[in-house]
Amino acid sequence: MDDHAIVELYHRREERAIAETDQKYGGLCRSIALGLLGDREDAEECVNDTWHAAWNRMPPDWPRSLGAFLGRITRNLSISRWRREHAQKRYDGVELLLSELEDCVPAPGTVEETLERRQLGRAISAWLDGLEEGDRRIFLRRYWYGDAVKDLAAEAGQGANALAQRLLRLRKGLRAFLESEGVEL
Amino acid sequence: MKADDIFDGVTDVRDDLIDGAGEAPKQRSRWTKRRWLGAVAAVLVVAIAVGAFLRPGGGLTAYAIARAEYPRMAPYPGEGGSRAAYDAWWESVKAQRRDLGDTSALEMFFARSAQAFLTEKPGENRVYSPVNVYLALSMLAYLTDGDSRGQILEALGSGGMDELRKQANDVWNVSYRDDGVITSILASSLWLDQDVSFNRDTLDALARDFYASSYRGKMGSKELDKALQNWLNEQTGGLLEEQAGNVELEPTTILALATTLYFKAPWAEEFSKDQTAPQTFHTPTGDVETDFLHQWSSGSYYLGDKFSAVSQSFKEGGAMWFLLPDEGVTPEELLADEEAMEFLFTEKKYDWERPALVNEAIPKFDVSAQFDLKDGLKALGITDVFDRERADFTPMTTGVNEHITLNQTSHAARVVIDEEGCIAAAFTVLSPGGDAPPEEEVDFVLDRPFLFCVTGDSGLPLFVGIVNYPMKA
Repeated sequence: MDDHAIVELYHRREERAIAETDQKYGGLCRSIALGLLGDREDAEECVNDTWHAAWNRMPPDWPRSLGAFLGRITRNLSISRWRREHAQKRYDGVELLLSELEDCVPAPGTVEETLERRQLGRAISAWLDGLEEGDRRIFLRRYWYGDAVKDLAAEAGQGANALAQRLLRLRKGLRAFLESEGVEL
Repeated sequence: MKADDIFDGVTDVRDDLIDGAGEAPKQRSRWTKRRWLGAVAAVLVVAIAVGAFLRPGGGLTAYAIARAEYPRMAPYPGEGGSRAAYDAWWESVKAQRRDLGDTSALEMFFARSAQAFLTEKPGENRVYSPVNVYLALSMLAYLTDGDSRGQILEALGSGGMDELRKQANDVWNVSYRDDGVITSILASSLWLDQDVSFNRDTLDALARDFYASSYRGKMGSKELDKALQNWLNEQTGGLLEEQAGNVELEPTTILALATTLYFKAPWAEEFSKDQTAPQTFHTPTGDVETDFLHQWSSGSYYLGDKFSAVSQSFKEGGAMWFLLPDEGVTPEELLADEEAMEFLFTEKKYDWERPALVNEAIPKFDVSAQFDLKDGLKALGITDVFDRERADFTPMTTGVNEHITLNQTSHAARVVIDEEGCIAAAFTVLSPGGDAPPEEEVDFVLDRPFLFCVTGDSGLPLFVGIVNYPMKA
């Protein structure tokens, strides 16, 4: 079903909206949640919470991209759950991503520490805009969608090690960008 | 600032960037104009006859009494269509939706009928349409009374005629789609002997509830047979021409019901012809080389005790499910397995779902079957309509009421997967290893007999079949 039609179902308060959403975006959201949390039960709860949140936010929201809207909710719920529970549970999905993203953290003092999250999102978007399309895709597939390195390597026709190096170069590029732009943000 | 903040910042990047990365990679975008087409069709002819010739002679050719008018749907406007065109299409899609309520009885009928009709000849290709048979039996219930009707209602899991009337009409409507993207048309017709008086109310009810057309003519004549064959071909896009040519009505027939289902839809995820390659399929009588479609997907596969499964969605609704029995298990054994039947006919399949990277290898196939439903119907408990002493067809005719029986229950179905176009694809094989987080990777290779099920937008099973020989029509 077309995204517009699904959103319309939410606005008309038709419960079928959830089923249609699950049918179209269940795979995406489960994949994101499972990749981050590594636990099927946790991931399923996160996806159910995503549908609940979507139901509460539409209306009034009318997302321009339903996939991005839902995926973003799932990411936020997953990371919240991980932050809440990671003292008890250990899984390297989030940890692996965070350890990689450490490379992007600007050196102390170069960027305002209390930078608002949305401002940071805008800054990273601006950096992504400047990337070559293939690099932009690989960065987002890895750090937004949570795709495995080996899958990205297969898709790009590269070896896993070569792709890991490419990601490392991108992460360092983001750090340099944030450092150079930091003061103006 | 911490890595957590970067994570949050990445989460909040602009939608268009996320969408752009969510699309197929560049090298795949060239495939988008290629479509795989699934075309499937089924016909069912039920003929009701008297035990002797009523009268000889006559010579009128068949003529139409009434032609059904199907709901008109606005054409799908496509991605670049106007808002008004989109709204019109969406309204017409919504107009076909019905709340089917509790579908457990329907699911039970589908499961039992699959066991009855698909397991009669192990080792052969077998295809039938659960929805088509359901509607034909519903129509038969209108024409019968007493125990004859009671047996049909029981087989369908229906509590009575009022319940059946609503449900059958709902099933027809949710299965109907003709919007330029998906064609899914259930057609029905009544073929009446020219010299018999029929109960007008019953025929009107069938026309109203099943969009049935009516034709009249001389039973046993070439003209009427030809008219029926033409109607079957017209309704099924010529896909069952050979099978339709075998349908002839006996001179003793007084009324025949013909129902068809024609379904055609493009895959939502196209395959690349460049990845199609010959591979070995292990048929029950030996290995054959046949073309296999290949696709890699980061989606789901489904795992049961005795089977694994994947699905391929159609554009704008519906899907085709492929069930591969475990090594040592036949498709027929799977049909007797409670878990497999529950999986096949229930809409909610989460219990079996596993996110995975799936390497799919699916043989191209063109399978068909034509068979008499009689034994299967008897296995479902529908026996009286075949018994000249017990059959009760009183609602059908005001004239002849003795020794009327079902003398033909012919069902034919064919499922074809076609390919158009040819283009190279850039990515093919997954390289294992690297520093990836744990994620299941599955090879799903349909290289031995398997089950398939085509579902419509509503999730109802339009076609179910067993493929033992991929290219044996």
